[in-house]
Amino acid sequence: MQDKIKLEICCGTTCYMLGAAELMTIEDTLPDAWKDRVDVFAIPCMDLCTREDIGRAPFVRIDGEVMGNATLETVHRALSKLLPIEPEEV
Amino acid sequence: MPGDTPFVELEYCQLTHDGECACGDDFQWALADGGNRHIAVLSDGLGSGIKAHLLANMTTTMALEFMKSNKPILRSAEIIMDSLPVCEVRKISYATFTIVDMLSATGRARVIEMGNPSYIQLRGEMEIPSFSRRELVSERWPDRKMDISELQMLTGDRLIFCSDGVTQAGLGTGVYKFGWRRSGCLAFARELIAREPAISAKDLSRAIAFNAMSLNKEHKCVDDISCVVLYFRKPRVLRILTGPPFHKEDDSAFAALAADGADRVIICGGTTANIITRELHTRVELDLKMVKVSGSLPPPGKMANVGLVTEGILTLTRVTTDLERHNWDDSPVAAREILAAIEESDVIELVVGTKVNEAHQDPKLPIDLEIRRNIIRRLQTVLENDYRKKVTLTYF
Repeated sequence: MQDKIKLEICCGTTCYMLGAAELMTIEDTLPDAWKDRVDVFAIPCMDLCTREDIGRAPFVRIDGEVMGNATLETVHRALSKLLPIEPEEV
Repeated sequence: MPGDTPFVELEYCQLTHDGECACGDDFQWALADGGNRHIAVLSDGLGSGIKAHLLANMTTTMALEFMKSNKPILRSAEIIMDSLPVCEVRKISYATFTIVDMLSATGRARVIEMGNPSYIQLRGEMEIPSFSRRELVSERWPDRKMDISELQMLTGDRLIFCSDGVTQAGLGTGVYKFGWRRSGCLAFARELIAREPAISAKDLSRAIAFNAMSLNKEHKCVDDISCVVLYFRKPRVLRILTGPPFHKEDDSAFAALAADGADRVIICGGTTANIITRELHTRVELDLKMVKVSGSLPPPGKMANVGLVTEGILTLTRVTTDLERHNWDDSPVAAREILAAIEESDVIELVVGTKVNEAHQDPKLPIDLEIRRNIIRRLQTVLENDYRKKVTLTYF
């Protein structure tokens, strides 16, 4: 069994207003094959919104790697690099 | 600290004479001397309905104003009695009163009674007699005797006073030939307090008033029923910490306030929560399942050994707005949890870090965020003015 991927979502004010509210529903959008492979956590605040070098809120962290301007789509894309959906066995 | 001064919980229950649209008793209270003095007045107007209410309301209004301005009581009572309109039917003007004038810091109180059933002071279940009681009679109104009692309220004491709709309840029925009387009301209150030692003023006043009503034939209000309870108790302290301290070196002193000294602690703000978890070596648990029911605010979380954690500015703005409009039926979970804690507390200690999050001032944000200090000022104002909470403000 592989280690689960840790997906952390910032719930701070700025992130929440700029899209974290939607990101927090990501569990509902994960393909079944990923559901047991990703652990989603809400973080009160990552204190990243005042940093200008790493993008804009909302922020997530995927296995410790910070990602700015996060949307459901970009997070899915980032996860897909770590979790390719294996083709169903024929 | 205000948490050391006992809190005055003052509530009343009033039931209106059957068939009348207005209660013939009136109750009013006010704070005087910068909030250090509680003055409460209950009056029972002659008869029932609008006419009685008018007499009672004139009496409470005048008595309250005279007391606030420290007018001599005999002269005040004479003015009240001279002013009341004369009843066409009975050719007299009459309204009883009970005035309670108490210094909130010391519990020293004076009760002035004219015509109402005598007050009850309870320490737990034990009745406490006044240490001084004297009678005062006006030369012009010799039949209207006033009793002035001096008493000392200790933390945990209750003062109960009522209109004769309570003591005369059940009058003429088999069990209560002479009514419930003061002794019946006293026994009932003692029994209730024995069962529920921390019973609130509101619950006790309601229990007494409704029990009185139930003693009447067919549970009717054959007279106006009013019961006032003043509960002089240890205040419940809620401490709200919000915002990071301006100087980082103050973080540990700030965080220490989350650990101790209040009955309940709420942390509003993600960065604030981070500072406190770091300093107190604890953690925050946010349940993502709450997202679906959290409404238009980020979901609340729990900090182990501390209390509730919510987002900061948006949540506090919502709480303040709901308090201002006196309605939080549709409030999101995070705000509603704070509002519930506020409702159950007497002293609200606001501990405010003043560091500004520059990202909050970004014009690209979809809505304007209030500056924390402005929200706190609004919150303080509404809590003090509309909800009679004691509020302290500490800036970091």
